[in-house]
Amino acid sequence: MKENSLWKDAFRRLTMDKWALGSLIIVLIYSSVALLAAMGIIAGDWAKEVGASNMAPNGDHWLGTDIFGRDVLSKVLRGTQIAMSVGLVTSLIAIPIGVVLGALAGYFGGWVDDLITWLYTTFSSIPNIMLLISITMILGKGIFAVYIALGATSWVTLCRLIRGEVMKHKEREYVQAAGAIGGGHFRKLFLHILPNVTHIVIINTSLQFQFAIKSEVILSYLGLGVQGEPSWGTMIDDAKLELSRGVWWQLAGATTAMFLVVLAFNLLGDALRDSLDPKLKGK
Amino acid sequence: MTSPLLSVRNLVVEFQTGEGITRAVNNVSFDIPAGKTIGIVGESGSGKSVTSLAVMGLLQKPAAKIPQGEIIFNGQDLLKFNDSQMRAIRGNQISMIFQEPMTSLNPVFKVGDQIAETIRIHRNISNKEAWDRAVDLMNQVGIPNPALSAHKYPHEMSGGQKQRVMIAMAIACEPKLLIADEPTTALDVTIQKQVLELLHKLQQQYKMSMMFITHDLGVIGDIADDVVVMYRSNVVEQNKAQEIFYTAKHPYTKGLLACRPKLGANPRRLLTVSDFMDDQGVEKHVSPERVVVFDKEQEKEKSSEILLEVKNLVTQFPIKGGFFGRTVDHFKAVNDVSFTLKKGKTLGLVGESGCGKTTLGRSILRLVEPSSGSIIYNGKDITHVYAEELRLLRRKMQIIFQDPYSSLNPRMTISEILTEPLNIHNVGNSKQERLDMAKQLFEKVGLKLSHLNRYPHEFSGGQRQRICIARALMLRPEFVICDESVSALDVSIQAQVLNLLLDLQEEFHLTYIFISHDLSVVNFIADEVGVMNGGKIIEMDKASSIYKNPKEAYTRALLSAIPKGEVKSDLSSMV
Amino acid sequence: MIKYIIRRLLYLIPVLLGVSFIIFVLFNLVSGDPTAVLLGKNASARQMAELREQLGLNKPLLDQYFDVVKSAFTFDFGYSWATKQEISHMILQGAYPSLCLSVPAFVIATILSLIISLVVSFYRGKGIDLFVRIMCIAGVSVSALAYILFFQYFFAYKLGWFEISGFEYGFPDFIPFVALPAIIFILLSLGPDVRFFRTVILDEIYQDYVRTARAKGLSEVVILLKHVLRNAMIPIITYVVIQIPSLILGALLLENFFSIPGLGGITLNALNSSDFPVIKAMAILSSVLYILLSLLTDVLYTFADPRVKLK
Repeated sequence: MKENSLWKDAFRRLTMDKWALGSLIIVLIYSSVALLAAMGIIAGDWAKEVGASNMAPNGDHWLGTDIFGRDVLSKVLRGTQIAMSVGLVTSLIAIPIGVVLGALAGYFGGWVDDLITWLYTTFSSIPNIMLLISITMILGKGIFAVYIALGATSWVTLCRLIRGEVMKHKEREYVQAAGAIGGGHFRKLFLHILPNVTHIVIINTSLQFQFAIKSEVILSYLGLGVQGEPSWGTMIDDAKLELSRGVWWQLAGATTAMFLVVLAFNLLGDALRDSLDPKLKGK
Repeated sequence: MTSPLLSVRNLVVEFQTGEGITRAVNNVSFDIPAGKTIGIVGESGSGKSVTSLAVMGLLQKPAAKIPQGEIIFNGQDLLKFNDSQMRAIRGNQISMIFQEPMTSLNPVFKVGDQIAETIRIHRNISNKEAWDRAVDLMNQVGIPNPALSAHKYPHEMSGGQKQRVMIAMAIACEPKLLIADEPTTALDVTIQKQVLELLHKLQQQYKMSMMFITHDLGVIGDIADDVVVMYRSNVVEQNKAQEIFYTAKHPYTKGLLACRPKLGANPRRLLTVSDFMDDQGVEKHVSPERVVVFDKEQEKEKSSEILLEVKNLVTQFPIKGGFFGRTVDHFKAVNDVSFTLKKGKTLGLVGESGCGKTTLGRSILRLVEPSSGSIIYNGKDITHVYAEELRLLRRKMQIIFQDPYSSLNPRMTISEILTEPLNIHNVGNSKQERLDMAKQLFEKVGLKLSHLNRYPHEFSGGQRQRICIARALMLRPEFVICDESVSALDVSIQAQVLNLLLDLQEEFHLTYIFISHDLSVVNFIADEVGVMNGGKIIEMDKASSIYKNPKEAYTRALLSAIPKGEVKSDLSSMV
Repeated sequence: MIKYIIRRLLYLIPVLLGVSFIIFVLFNLVSGDPTAVLLGKNASARQMAELREQLGLNKPLLDQYFDVVKSAFTFDFGYSWATKQEISHMILQGAYPSLCLSVPAFVIATILSLIISLVVSFYRGKGIDLFVRIMCIAGVSVSALAYILFFQYFFAYKLGWFEISGFEYGFPDFIPFVALPAIIFILLSLGPDVRFFRTVILDEIYQDYVRTARAKGLSEVVILLKHVLRNAMIPIITYVVIQIPSLILGALLLENFFSIPGLGGITLNALNSSDFPVIKAMAILSSVLYILLSLLTDVLYTFADPRVKLK
């Protein structure tokens, strides 16, 4: 039986790569933590005072306590939920917009392309951080504004990539052949071209996730992010004042938690690119 | 006898791949005497290019290994040279021309600088002198207005000119050995002939040795002294060109010689390598009925019914320009073309790239919208039908494209690809019925049923082209356009596909338009031939007579550009 | 060439109008009535109406939109709500410390990244390449905040090698204040820059023309520095130039941590005091800068890539 699709083949190569497999496992662990925290099964009582103020890490509290005597580990887990949700929601906003606009622009060309190109050039002309700050400030501080701000900025890259790739595929003879056997625009674009560009969405999503997580941390640090809940960014903000007093565990916890997941998404993105992007094959 | 300039002894090249070690060159030995041309012939993957890269020392190092062998050049083993020693040889004593002139030049430097660079590496001369020499070389390789052209960038030149620049670069230091790796494969036939003649002239002038690599024995007939035939990493035969062409011993060589269509000879089917040997390489006797020659004239008219009539067809594309990208003019890719095609016949369209033959084919199928004129199919004007009618028309008219690698969707299995046309047109009552129809045709084009669930990348180029043919025939069309459908294939595979197309034509009573740049192929397969140039059909005649009495100068040029597939006769006697 | 530039210039008009529109929608439509915030709870209706008049909020929407467009050309952004200063004046003042920090840091970071990526491309697949790749990917995975916090704490606070915060005007007085943030800036840039440059260079190394250059007998070093680099410059130019507008703000966090009174500091202060006009001005300013720089990229292209002229 030799029925190995390109996807299965790519997945097999991905799992053969130790680093990629490890990254995938880390991402899955973070996702489960986020899910469990969201359902309140873990870290539901993060706000409870469980000990003295600023206790160093110990057997009961592996990452110590913060200034209000709250368990830092619980805060880190709770922060995981915020971070992962930002990655997820941003992707859910960016992917449909980016894919649909990019595909339409690349496939139809002409004025459709002109319009969509203008749209994303306009959006990318406002430096990312400025647009993020403006949107969160205007929508009012909070996680909702962060979702919208990151979603509004991150479809641009995907749209540009998809557009370019669809343009390339449109000229390929397999698409012309689909037209020759009587297939319409819908069939050509959605059944033939899009399956050939989905790898870009997957690679981009992996990199998008880490960008969203990093941005959420910075926005939260600036006080624009989630309110009344712990985020890795607010924890780092707290640590800014604590560090000179030797209280390092809050910073260490938040930084490490973020480092691992961002690293995993980075490695995964690279591995996905290697195994899915045919252009790079054989290098 | 003096010792040869280059002597390859028992060369083995291996590649480390994900699946283990593969041997690309197995125990290959041959000599290139000083001042002689040797042709290395074989199909893609036979190891001929790898051999040449090994001589140049250009194999990608960690992946490629040379566990055994010697490459003696001028009495020294090149395999023992270190990097800087090899660099002093490369471009200076041994130089190389590659297949793809389009990508082989650096896009951001002037061509004059790129030629001068080669000279400055190996000769201690000033920039000015190097530049003047570059201009002189460009003159020698026949680039018009060399002093001006030297200031051009590669994208401002045609493919043929770029290949001339590559040649100028290669002969800049008057090397002793010139390696040419399929230097004409990417070029039009008339350009191919000019480049071949140029290479031969320069070889004589500079008294170089030349190693000419090709998949097409016909190409080197005119220029090679000796021929080495490679098959699956091994040398299967080597001899004087004379001997190879007239008394080939190995069945593979015989197959290669026989599979190229020749003007004048009209076999019913082309012989292929598989007529001469089986899969294991054991020689077979050619069955006599395979070599029946027939006269197309004698064939009684299959029908007199006209299937397709094209009247004054024009297809034009806007030329954008000016400030706002407004349309400033139109380029007429197809310019006032008219012809009629009878049922069951084949019309061959021949011409060089850019002559409009591809656009004409696509305009007839309405894949490109014609600007004026009319297309009458089966008595009905289809120039302006739309939507549903056009869709129904697609059942009757099909197309087979040139590039077998890009014409199959890499994300679909072969059974999905073959049943898709049936799904679109609601042919067949059930999934199973459609699958059965796919199976039937899949076998008919000569592929194994067990491969039906594979993906395109698991097939070779020739196999993919068979799949494309099967897909085109799934809807049982009456009319098929073959757009350069065999041009991307090695000659040995090309013959098999041509035979298949003829078999299918007989079985399904198909009418073909066969588009190609190769007049000998068109002449073999078509009943009538139209020669296209500048968007017009400039000459049209019966296939059997066009090569005897060409009326237009352009047709004559095309005819004379066809490699004869014979040994050079007067050329070598001149020397 | 001139034609090409003029055409690119004309294309900037719709983009500028689009950018102005987004900013107009955000700040004039979505943001709502700021007068209540500005005047506090006890403001009378008359006071609020006066303020609205003063801020131009009573004008028709189209006029308000054209005010945004106009400010992109005149740099007349009005007055800050928080400091009551003229915004263009504030920006001019803030530009000096910002540029003292970001320009040298940016230049050094770019050159250093290019050198490192050329070296690792030369030794591709070898130990040093692997090491640099791992360092880059690990480097970009650590939060920028963590770098800044740690470096400030360790080198400025613990070891006392640098000033912890503040700024002094005039060369060379500002050097001790910007040295540490500049080093952090460079470190933060190295990871993404080297990764990008390396990918671009390796893309080129596998092209056919490199094989031709080898066949000429050129050494690997010359091939890399002459043939490959020249081609790789095309994507690198875009990448580098496009970063410049966010440069002013890219140092935002650093200016915040090190209390440097630059544009980043102004932006963050405005953020904390809900000073909308300042944020709006910064958004317009950085977008105009971006648009002008994208024009510069287009011009640079014509020098780096002879193929562009024809388009």
